[in-house]
Amino acid sequence: MKRFIFAFIAAFIFIFLWGWFYNGVLLKDVFAEAQSLFRPREEIMGLFHWIIIGQAGLALSFVLIYASSFAGGGIAAGVRLGIMLEILAVSARCAIYATQPFPARFLVLVSVGGFIEMIVTGVIVGAIYKPAAVRIS
Amino acid sequence: MDWKKFFIAFVAAFGFIFLFGFLWYGKLMHGAHQEVPALWRTEADFGNHFSTLVFGHIVMAFFLTLICARFVPAGGQGACATLAILVALIYAGADLITFAVQPLTTKILCGWIVGDLIQFAIAGTLIGAIYKPAPAHTTFVKERSP
Repeated sequence: MKRFIFAFIAAFIFIFLWGWFYNGVLLKDVFAEAQSLFRPREEIMGLFHWIIIGQAGLALSFVLIYASSFAGGGIAAGVRLGIMLEILAVSARCAIYATQPFPARFLVLVSVGGFIEMIVTGVIVGAIYKPAAVRIS
Repeated sequence: MDWKKFFIAFVAAFGFIFLFGFLWYGKLMHGAHQEVPALWRTEADFGNHFSTLVFGHIVMAFFLTLICARFVPAGGQGACATLAILVALIYAGADLITFAVQPLTTKILCGWIVGDLIQFAIAGTLIGAIYKPAPAHTTFVKERSP
């Protein structure tokens, strides 16, 4: 349980920092191109707690899935899980692209960031969380 | 891996996800979506991008089936549904982030989260019901009398 909590906290901190750096700093101009589809900055800051809750939920779900089906596989299993979950996220982005007028470049860049985020999250969770049986051996 | 059962489970999952998506997001939530019309493509433009929607659903069904088949070794509806619900929770997290940055209404947010949970729970149950690994071979050895 202790390692589960450590893995969750580490994954959440990484997802938060990466989300801020990649989407907020690196892709700032790309987001500006689709400004009409986003809330004004002040409104986003007013709803910032939902971003935190969403990212915490994402990190918790990742660790729960890893602990229930992937634990024991270490970093490689964490990376595999991250890649599979990001492919599922890309499939959801295809539905978003079909229904919302986002430029294709925007979704490609967001997906590239998503792959990096999920792979590194997999490395972090795989390195920290180990089931009891593996720790004994 | 039993590829025949995998393929049948994938096709069933795709059929369900596509049909559910059409009914839930396209029909039931149509009114809620129309409250923010600026966010969506026009009907004609949506028609032009329909193939992307179908492709996304195929990828979603394929990888959900793959995750269930590979990582629920014992198979079974309950275990696959549980794993699929955990995957849906990741989508729910993403929905919350989208709500914070895009001008969605709370009605749309709640509809998306509930839709994700129902969609993945039923798809996982379907996959678990169809994809069951063959029982392991059992060898009987007669015990020697002392």
